[in-house]
Amino acid sequence: MKKIAVIGDPDFNVGFRLVGIRDVYDVQSDEEVVKAVEDVMKREDVGIVVIKNEFLDKIPISLRREMDESVEPTFVIVGGEGSVEVLKEKIRRAIGVDLWK
Amino acid sequence: MVEVQPTRMELIKLKRRIQMAKRGHALLKMKRDGLIMEFRTILEDAKAVIEEMIKKYEVAREKLALAMAVDGAIAVKSIALACHAEPKFTMKRKNIMGVVVPVIKREKVRRSVYERDYGIIGTSARLDEAVSAYEELVDAILEVAELETTLKRLIEEIERTKRRVNALEYKVIPEMEEAAKFISFKLEEMDRENIIRLKKIKTKKAKEQQ
Repeated sequence: MKKIAVIGDPDFNVGFRLVGIRDVYDVQSDEEVVKAVEDVMKREDVGIVVIKNEFLDKIPISLRREMDESVEPTFVIVGGEGSVEVLKEKIRRAIGVDLWK
Repeated sequence: MVEVQPTRMELIKLKRRIQMAKRGHALLKMKRDGLIMEFRTILEDAKAVIEEMIKKYEVAREKLALAMAVDGAIAVKSIALACHAEPKFTMKRKNIMGVVVPVIKREKVRRSVYERDYGIIGTSARLDEAVSAYEELVDAILEVAELETTLKRLIEEIERTKRRVNALEYKVIPEMEEAAKFISFKLEEMDRENIIRLKKIKTKKAKEQQ
């Protein structure tokens, strides 16, 4: 049985707390984001990490790559269309055509 | 041009390597096609699920904002702290052609009003709605987690495989073939040189004997 963890600002997190998620990281500054991500990757009991879209830019590239590659936990980006754009771009580069439409 | 020794042994080795590279190339091509097929079947599902999640997120935020505005932020936050029944799910790993992807089995995310950790009397219907919306969002997130990650992994693998196929097709194999051609030309040339040399020696000897 695995748990969900949430990384976001306090406003973002309240809703997830309401559902009963306990592993919530309230983050404000860039360092806190990085620390939270590193911490969550080390944990064994967390299966999915929900992270707010706007914090993604604050994570250094090397850590981002690690996030992309890890299966447990799996990172899900919530909020905004940012993740879709990234995905579209990746598809376009790999296949050669934009299959998303 | 590759630096090679023009010897027969080198030629045999090269020919073997070319054969191997060609076999690998065919295999990788098949892998690439298989991955793309897999990718296309998942793409449609993933698209729908991701879009749905984005919509659900907007709805959930709106409802929560409303609940917080009407009931007060502190009330909502204190209820949030009371909730401790975590959504449950199990995770497995699946292997699609060498790509490890997660498989998530959702167990119980949505609950009825009575199963929640706060009392019904002290709270409003708006809060219930917000919680329901967030439960749906978490449900959607679990679905997205599986599909989006699978999609991302497949794309990466497709790109990598494609690069290898192209490298073999346009760089490695042609270079080795050129080297093989060079060696065989050189060997023929040496053969001819030898024949001429022998003939010269022969005529020289014949002259001496006269």
